[in-house]
Amino acid sequence: MKSKIIHNAISALGATVILGLLSPAWAASCPVKGGTLIWGHSETTQNLYTHQTGTISTMRILQNIHDGLVTTDKNLNIIPELAESYVVSKDGMSYTFKLRDGVKFHDGSDMTSADVKYSFEKVMDPDTGAVNKPVFNSVGSIETPDNLTVIIKMDKINAPFLGRLAALGAGAIIPEGSAETQGTMPVGAGPFKFVRREIGNEVELERFDDYWNGPACIERLIAREVTEPTVRLTGLRTGEMHLINDIPADRIDEIKADKNLEVLSWSHGVFDFVNLNYKFEPFQDQRVRLAVDYIIDKEVLLQGALWGQGKTAASPGFASSASYNEDLTQRPQDIAKAKALLKEAGYGPGDLKVVFKATTNYPYHVEAAQILVEWFREAGVELTIEQLTWADWLGQVWVDKDFQMSMMNFNSIWEEDFLYYSLYNSTGGFNYRGINDPVIDELTEKARVTIDDAARANIYKEVQQRVFDKVHDIVVWHRNSSFGAQKSVGGLDTLVNADGATYHFHKVWLKE
Amino acid sequence: MSIFKKFLNFKGIIGITLVLCVILIAVLAPLIIPPEFATRMDMRARLSPPNMAHWMGTDQLGRDLFYRVMLGARTSINIATSAVLMSLVIGLPLGLISGYFGGRTDNVLMRLVDTLLSFPALLLALTISAVLGPNLQNTIIAIGIAFTPYLARLIRGEALRVAQMPYVEAARSSGATNTRLIIGHVLPNIMPVVIVQSTISLAFAILAEAGLSFLGLGTQPPEASWGLMIQASRDYLDRAPWTALVPGTAVALTVLGLNMFGDVLRDVLDPRSQS
Amino acid sequence: MAYFIQRLLSMAVTLFLISIITFTVTNILPGDVAMMIMGTQSNPAALANLRESLGLNDPLIYQYGRWIFGMLTGDWGNSLLFKQPIGPILLQKMTASALIVLLSMTIALTLAIPLGVWSAVYKNRWQDTAGSSVSILGVSLPDFFWGIMLILLFARALGWFPSSGFVHPNEDFLLALKHAFLPSLALGLGLMAHLTRMTRATMTGILSQEFIRVARAKGLAEKTVIWQYGLANAIGPVMTVAGLQMGYLFGSIIVMESLFNYTGMGWLTYQALLNRDMPLIQATVFVIAAVVMLVNLLVDLLYPIFDPRIELK
Repeated sequence: MKSKIIHNAISALGATVILGLLSPAWAASCPVKGGTLIWGHSETTQNLYTHQTGTISTMRILQNIHDGLVTTDKNLNIIPELAESYVVSKDGMSYTFKLRDGVKFHDGSDMTSADVKYSFEKVMDPDTGAVNKPVFNSVGSIETPDNLTVIIKMDKINAPFLGRLAALGAGAIIPEGSAETQGTMPVGAGPFKFVRREIGNEVELERFDDYWNGPACIERLIAREVTEPTVRLTGLRTGEMHLINDIPADRIDEIKADKNLEVLSWSHGVFDFVNLNYKFEPFQDQRVRLAVDYIIDKEVLLQGALWGQGKTAASPGFASSASYNEDLTQRPQDIAKAKALLKEAGYGPGDLKVVFKATTNYPYHVEAAQILVEWFREAGVELTIEQLTWADWLGQVWVDKDFQMSMMNFNSIWEEDFLYYSLYNSTGGFNYRGINDPVIDELTEKARVTIDDAARANIYKEVQQRVFDKVHDIVVWHRNSSFGAQKSVGGLDTLVNADGATYHFHKVWLKE
Repeated sequence: MSIFKKFLNFKGIIGITLVLCVILIAVLAPLIIPPEFATRMDMRARLSPPNMAHWMGTDQLGRDLFYRVMLGARTSINIATSAVLMSLVIGLPLGLISGYFGGRTDNVLMRLVDTLLSFPALLLALTISAVLGPNLQNTIIAIGIAFTPYLARLIRGEALRVAQMPYVEAARSSGATNTRLIIGHVLPNIMPVVIVQSTISLAFAILAEAGLSFLGLGTQPPEASWGLMIQASRDYLDRAPWTALVPGTAVALTVLGLNMFGDVLRDVLDPRSQS
Repeated sequence: MAYFIQRLLSMAVTLFLISIITFTVTNILPGDVAMMIMGTQSNPAALANLRESLGLNDPLIYQYGRWIFGMLTGDWGNSLLFKQPIGPILLQKMTASALIVLLSMTIALTLAIPLGVWSAVYKNRWQDTAGSSVSILGVSLPDFFWGIMLILLFARALGWFPSSGFVHPNEDFLLALKHAFLPSLALGLGLMAHLTRMTRATMTGILSQEFIRVARAKGLAEKTVIWQYGLANAIGPVMTVAGLQMGYLFGSIIVMESLFNYTGMGWLTYQALLNRDMPLIQATVFVIAAVVMLVNLLVDLLYPIFDPRIELK
């Protein structure tokens, strides 16, 4: 009898030890625990209710408060997060998620399938005004047969659905019934809890000790808003901030040379392109569009507008994703050819006058425009610039589509359907250039119902080729984003998410 | 003779010299300097400090600051003059009528003016730009409208004072029409104040253009104007302060000159400020 | 008493006019907050949806009435951008700006008055020009220039003051002052030009008057004549002008606070305007205009006290 008790005790002890070794170990992944990290953020935090937030600025904070059903790894492959596993039916009409057991929300309650159903139905409810509502457009019903199982039944096949869920907080799970208070007190299942926010000043988050994936290393995170670049940089240098995002492009080399500071810089996630509106008559002629492409020297433009902080590219896709078309190379500058093309199209020197609407929200767009004016003049085209505030640009160019030529940047859209459909399908939500190409329409629709990932990737490669051939847009570069940090900040390699635009502070630590 | 003597002091001389210099540059520079000197870019010489090749250095796109500031004079002076003229065109009649007729007219008009004065000028400018669009004409309108209330109030005060003078009363009772009195008697008497105030306003109009460039209003790039140049220097102040100091000094000297000229002008024209 | 009531009524009328102009201006602005919220996720259907849920489609008269009634009963509505009630935000931001406004005015007067007196005493000589030059310097380079220069000097190079941010005076008064100092100094430099000029002009006027000649003839020291007799009487008009500079000051804080991320009324107004947050624009613009109007009114009422013709000894 005694031996049995001892035997059981030893087994229990053994099991505990083994389980202890297997479970996400705090000590193993956090070299130093504790400390308050002060982050100088370049953007203003707006609405804290994740469903209603469409801007990256606030998303960056919220993604540390909320976890989603699924997420992506470094290579943009979809991996489970709050869901432990998932199965997509062969016909693509139903998704079954098995939730992790024992996930806690910040308010102490357990996450169950009811919370998932609640969260998604809130997004689908028109009254919420949810920015990600289109993600769920094909969803027919959400069933919760038990506490840890969610079955989403589609009305029609939407192959990109899982990817969309993983992007931009669309799949964030909030506690049932909490929608009304999320704006003042956001509660989620992520690694950090919301403590307080002072509008315009800062947002304070604190470590959530019961986080399912192991507590974060730092005790406290303070996201301080400092929109002025010079002031932000000064804050880093005086030590008032531990790290800042987006070092001004012309200062990066200087900061890299500073032995007291650490720089993290990457070129995926943000791309810029020059837009030609099909509503403007001259741009309806293929030759004119081609001419514009030949007028622009992309490398020199990158040097001029962004001090070389970026990588020229012909495609807006993420270089690391399987669907990226590596065969595309940008057209070089060839003013003579451009002039010839224009002449063919009926525009001699001085005949074509174009207005470029640039938004002051991205000062480097204004710089780029000024450089373009010089090249266009060489080619015999009169380019004039109109500076618009962000609100005016959104109103005139984006919504009213009232413009001739413009420039825009996009970030974090790695999910192909979101990217290519929205931008290039004639009914796409981001199609402010009036692109109406039946070939692209057909391809993007086909992609939506192609379940095989490799086949879908190939379709998107064709889309990129078509956009390039027809000069629907002129993609110029993928812009560098950067982080500057004190030497005392560790774990920087885990900071930036695969989308290149949002940040994850779970594994960042302070060498205090 | 005595008028010239009044100008012949330290302040007067400096003031007139500065003003004349600026006017000369504004008029002559565009005739001498080819326009492309202000917009041509040298990417290998960006943000370079003053040197032999570029006397006042270059900006972030490698453009020569000396040529830009010289050619920019015309744009800035043009905007300032047009804006002040506009504020006069609206404010002068407004102030004259209000001050001369007094009573209810005065009350209503000044109530409106005071209300407008409560709004920061930047706000008015932002609204006008948002509604009308960002180009040169609208900048002039924005500044002109923003300056009008202050000018109207000033003129109204003067008109009121002159209208109450005995000889005006006398002229009125002897049958002179209001119009003739306003144009023939009141107007000439308030001219000194108007001239002096306009001079000062010119100075502030130049500054206003600089402020509005902050909103993307005003001169559109790549054209040069002092305001735009100052605005563009914002992100480079710590590594290339001359990008701000060059246009800034130009503005400073112009404003200084106008202010000093205005001060001395007031001494000459306005009998009340005699010692 | 009757005069007092009359002024009160007059004030009410002006406030009413201010509200009309504010409301009109806000609604004339093209673009809307729905677009700013959705950013590049905007599409006509989603925007229409959001606008409806934000109450932006109701007839204008109704919106105006709702706004006025709300203000009178203490409900300033909700910011569409931040999704928070505007009242508490306003209060907090007004405290922040009050600190800057008072501090900058103090700095400006401390610098401008001696400079103006000096210029007046040496009228038209090189000292006068020097005085003008120094004060002009403050306005000929824009606020952000001085702001950034001060940050680089005092925050970065010397480390005496923080480079950005705001701390509430109740939390830590000394720290609050530290955060307010640099923006106030930058603002003060801008105010100096006009104040120096006014001091100079007023002093010139006073120094040419009879009673000054009498004081000098009596054999009083020049210093006494200038400061006790001259400045004492000039102070009134100078203070008047200082008060009237409020309008200009409130315009300046819009840029300056944004530069330093000093979250006061100026910062709030700019954010509201930038993002077309209608209720917030209405609230901030109205409050600023009302405060400026009140200060102007105060100055008008206090002027008789400062009038030198009454004060002469």
